[in-house]
Amino acid sequence: MNLNVNSVDSLVTEIQGLSGSSQDVAHLNNLLKQSEDTIRSQAATFASCLTLLDPSVHSLGYLYILEACTAGPVPEAQANELILPVVRFIDVCNVEQIRLASDKFISVCKRLHELVMILNAPMRAVGPLLTAILKIQPSPEHLTPLHPDFLQVCLLAKCYKIGYSILEDDICEVDQPRDFFLYCYYGGMICTGQKRYAKALELFHNVVTAPMSTMNAIAVEAYKKYILVSLIHLRQFSANFPKYTSSVAQRNLKNFSQPYVELAISYSTGNISELKAYVQANQERFENGNNLGLVKQVVSSMYKRNIQKLTQTYLTLSLQDIANTANINTPKEAEMHVLEMIEDGEIYATINQKDGMVRFLEDPEQYKTCEMIEHIDSSIQRIMKLSKKLTTTDESLSCDPLYLSKVGRERQRFDFDDFDNVPQKFNL
Amino acid sequence: MASSSSGLTFKLHPLVIVNISDHHTRVKSQSQPPPNLPAPRVFGCVIGVQRARTVEIFNSFELLYDSSTRSLDRSFLEKKQELYKKVFPNFYILGWYSTGADAEESDMHMHKALMDINENPVYVLLNPLINHTQKDLPVTIYESEMHVIDGIPQLIFARSSYTIETVEAERISVDHVAHLKPSDGGSAATQLAAHLTGIHSAIKMLNSRIRVLHHYLNAMQKGEIPYENSLLRQVSSLLRRLPAIESEKFQDEFLMEYNDTLLISYLAMFTDCSSTMNDLVDKINIAYDRHSRKGGRTAFI
Repeated sequence: MNLNVNSVDSLVTEIQGLSGSSQDVAHLNNLLKQSEDTIRSQAATFASCLTLLDPSVHSLGYLYILEACTAGPVPEAQANELILPVVRFIDVCNVEQIRLASDKFISVCKRLHELVMILNAPMRAVGPLLTAILKIQPSPEHLTPLHPDFLQVCLLAKCYKIGYSILEDDICEVDQPRDFFLYCYYGGMICTGQKRYAKALELFHNVVTAPMSTMNAIAVEAYKKYILVSLIHLRQFSANFPKYTSSVAQRNLKNFSQPYVELAISYSTGNISELKAYVQANQERFENGNNLGLVKQVVSSMYKRNIQKLTQTYLTLSLQDIANTANINTPKEAEMHVLEMIEDGEIYATINQKDGMVRFLEDPEQYKTCEMIEHIDSSIQRIMKLSKKLTTTDESLSCDPLYLSKVGRERQRFDFDDFDNVPQKFNL
Repeated sequence: MASSSSGLTFKLHPLVIVNISDHHTRVKSQSQPPPNLPAPRVFGCVIGVQRARTVEIFNSFELLYDSSTRSLDRSFLEKKQELYKKVFPNFYILGWYSTGADAEESDMHMHKALMDINENPVYVLLNPLINHTQKDLPVTIYESEMHVIDGIPQLIFARSSYTIETVEAERISVDHVAHLKPSDGGSAATQLAAHLTGIHSAIKMLNSRIRVLHHYLNAMQKGEIPYENSLLRQVSSLLRRLPAIESEKFQDEFLMEYNDTLLISYLAMFTDCSSTMNDLVDKINIAYDRHSRKGGRTAFI
């Protein structure tokens, strides 16, 4: 039975009729799929029936027509008009019906994203895209193609906090590698914007070490930022790639980010003036990579690094000595830096202002408090979840035929019978 | 079987029960009867002390009894009796025991045979069939009573109630025996697991009982149940017996130790995770590694 797409009214009535129960909706989905081309070709005429349908109840039908309307190229003038119904639809649509035609939903949202880019108003898409992600995700651990779009829009609109809320969930299922790369890259940038350097480092690390068969630009940019963030946060940078990095990345990443690697090398010498000179010389190249802000932060973190090194050698030190060893200009400035670090919790020290001495202390954490119990308890819960996940993945991999065939092939053969076709005996 | 009206109170020590069950199990496993037939019955004597109206059964020993001829080996009995008299001068033969589901008529023979040693012997019967639904011990004590039935005075068995009496040493040994499991040597892991399971069930029981008390007290406070002062007194005395350490130092030490234990379990979970991860990575390497391993195993004889 085909949908009667001849006139607007008939289509509307059919959609309205079949949006009742879930079986009806599934039936409607099939019908709509069959008539997809006709709908698309007559998109202009159907635009009017959008007003007749209620998006919260007839989500599926609305979605198909909406997708047809937005599929073609849209001139800038009309973009504004088109955004409103899309936004409204995303807000009120019915989740189960959407999931039946998820790729259409995703393409509608992507069109929204493009439209706001054209109009240069990224703020308008932040809310809708967030709702869209929450509706279409099968579970909080899935990565949808909408994630990177959402993060990009947040970055452009400078709404870092909302973007960060999405980043808090751990991702375990990824559909498209490109989505993953972009997600981690944008996510890292948002975290750097929020000054959560640890998470940013983790995300950039994921991009750099993700499996890739050819070089891609996202990884290169991520590597540059990775160097900078690692210098700011960890105050050191190791140029060795972990073993699980793909060989493509290992060979080529350094070639593309030469100035940053040299920056890291000069940072490790501990000489501030040298570092500043180097930054000055290469300022243009840093600017081209849009990383100048981060580079400036690297320079200012140099002081902290030097002071931190002092805590490992000295128990008490005068402010004058700190200023001298750490290449800081005046003792007053040194005091300010030390005070900042104590407030941030990066070092433990007491400043005796009378005689200008700083006394470095041990970590006063005694692990005796109830908050520590809760902290450890939550860590244990997290790791239990992770352990469960690992065991399920392990079990599913043990049943993988590819794995079984390889294991069977290389098992030890002690007998002539063992030389039959593989796999017969499994040494699991 | 009627219930006894003699007014004697019986006290049974757990050693007797353990002895009887041990005897039965030994005979059963050594004789290897076919599975459908019931296990052979075992017989023995119980010894103890009788003071005024209290009969306390302390110990028992085995007897040689030929069930085909229904004869008791008297000489053996006397020899054993002498030996036991030397060790326990106070104990007298109070009666005899046997295993089975119920007292039988043929048991009266045995009972009368012992009547010349003790004029009113007791008969302890242990039911070796394990019935999981039954909560009590499958041990019954019978006395003999003279009843006039159909005009003929007859001895019949009458069931009597008893209590279990323990000495400290007995409690420890019975506890130990009860925890013996037929395990494979009991590696550290299973022992730890058994120990922790025991503690867990004990704490669970404690928790449920406190909950009952709490609920009860709450109801009393709300007025749903009338006040019962004796119970309240008991509860308050129990509460006063709780440890009363409230000092700062105790809190510190306690929390530190608690955190240490949590950290250890965290570490254990970490190790577990890493080992799973290790297995997983090995499997992935085998399955998906495109570069064949250099110098890998070539499996030929």
